[in-house]
Amino acid sequence: MKMGVDWKQGTLRVALTVLLLANLFPLFWMLAVSLERGSTLIAGLADLWPEQPSLRNYLEMWQSGPFGRYFLNSFVVAAGVTAGNLVFCTMAGYAFARRRFPLKRTAFGMTLATMMLPAQIIMVPLYVLIVKLGWFNTYWALIVPWLVNPFGVFLMKQYIQSLPVETEQAARIDGASELQVLWYVVAPLARPALVVLLIYVFMSHWNSFLFPFLFTNEDAMRTLPVGLAFYQGQYSIDWPHLMAGSATMALPMIGLFLIFQRQIIAGLTAGAVKG
Amino acid sequence: MAQSRRGQLWQGGRESRATLILLLPWLLSFVVFWAYPFFYSLYLSFTQFSGFGTPEWTGLSNYLALLNDNDFITSVRNTIVFAAGTIPATTVFGLGLALLVNGNVGWRGFYRAGFFLPSVTSMVVIALVFQILYSRGGYLYLLARSVGLPVPENGFLLSTSTALPAIMAMDVWVFSGYYMVFFLAGLQAIPAEYYEHARLEGATFWQRLRHVTLPLLRPIMLFVVVVNTIKTLQVFVEIFIMTKGGPLNSTMTVVYDLYETGLRKFRMGYASAMAYVLFVIIMALALLQMKVMRSEEEVQG
Repeated sequence: MKMGVDWKQGTLRVALTVLLLANLFPLFWMLAVSLERGSTLIAGLADLWPEQPSLRNYLEMWQSGPFGRYFLNSFVVAAGVTAGNLVFCTMAGYAFARRRFPLKRTAFGMTLATMMLPAQIIMVPLYVLIVKLGWFNTYWALIVPWLVNPFGVFLMKQYIQSLPVETEQAARIDGASELQVLWYVVAPLARPALVVLLIYVFMSHWNSFLFPFLFTNEDAMRTLPVGLAFYQGQYSIDWPHLMAGSATMALPMIGLFLIFQRQIIAGLTAGAVKG
Repeated sequence: MAQSRRGQLWQGGRESRATLILLLPWLLSFVVFWAYPFFYSLYLSFTQFSGFGTPEWTGLSNYLALLNDNDFITSVRNTIVFAAGTIPATTVFGLGLALLVNGNVGWRGFYRAGFFLPSVTSMVVIALVFQILYSRGGYLYLLARSVGLPVPENGFLLSTSTALPAIMAMDVWVFSGYYMVFFLAGLQAIPAEYYEHARLEGATFWQRLRHVTLPLLRPIMLFVVVVNTIKTLQVFVEIFIMTKGGPLNSTMTVVYDLYETGLRKFRMGYASAMAYVLFVIIMALALLQMKVMRSEEEVQG
């Protein structure tokens, strides 16, 4: 017996299905437009699904100028940031969970604080820093500042803390160094948390717009979200191609989510439920 | 070897070196890419700086100028309207959806995934899709018109009275499902005994909601509202893609104003002051919310 509305199952199903369709409608619509042949918008309400759906727009997007490059950049950036986070957040999380050092509480508190910190505070100074370092329009700017996500540190610390400490102690008694304990004992046990971290970081950076936008102005270095945002400026009426590009960007994330939804949601709500 | 509880060994120098290595990436990242920009931004807010040369100290003049800057005041107002409009709606819909999905319906995972799905796509994609839907030939526009609603001539995004509400509606659409997932987790965490007890006493759905569910959901509610506040007050991507602050500044928000001032007009000192004003507003609201929720908790006992 749980908390939910008292309605009959049938009514509830209908209501939820209607709401769900309304909720997913814009995404369906994006797909429909992407499969259109011409570049005219629909003329009326009846034209919801294209008469002759074709994948032509998708092919043309891939063949046209920078789109393939945008995709590559997005992948390189997301993968790079993710790889870094997997290593560095685990290291820091392990330190916070198991090691003693001065000001540990303060340090962890500051990490949590940066999670809540609005990005706009660091927008301008980070831009100046990136330019000064000569990283403007390079992968460095898109990857390095994001290598240790505070949420990632939080996640790994929580998970590692919940592991039984005896396994690690046994390894230490056998003479393993800290780094060996981390690599050979803790990391394999922390795999569920690592999966969540991987998906979360990859998706955040694949979808990220603000900083990739601020730190690039050359087409060759733009990521998908930025490229798509500028595409619409150039060819303002070419919606079908734009929707094909958008769908190409969105579908991998939707796929990832559908496969890993339990882990993603568990990771997200871990912070909330524990208060 | 000294051994403390929780299995933390202390072997002197070698141990502390190991700890340092473990923390080094985090520490470097934190100091260089968070702490330093955070304080540098504060410093810049008291200067005039164009990005070239050195910043020129001007004391409080940026902050004083902001008080008289009509554009900035407009952007603050728009931002607050945006937040005040979307936060309650998103929270209520999120909770409502959670209550529906948590009812006796089966396929919970399916519905949960479906409602969460929009938040998994980039805001860029969503903004682009809605931009068409809201335009003169777009489906939502045609739908509204065919139902007889008064619609502006050139689509929702080109009219000062409908542009901001249209973007707000889009945000509520995306994030209701996102926050629904948090409420679902919270509902799951409430022990069934409370409901059995309430049911035995003949409580109706609404009574159960008010007296059992809502009090016990308080931590989640707090989390949702605070996170929502912080996020919505920073709204930028939607504005940049859909309206660029127009028409006539009716969708100009603080972060968009900040972006234009600091990184297009290169008035970085002034922009930093804007950033800090917004920061203070956000932190004040977040702390206020936490305080209100906490003290209510104590009253409940």
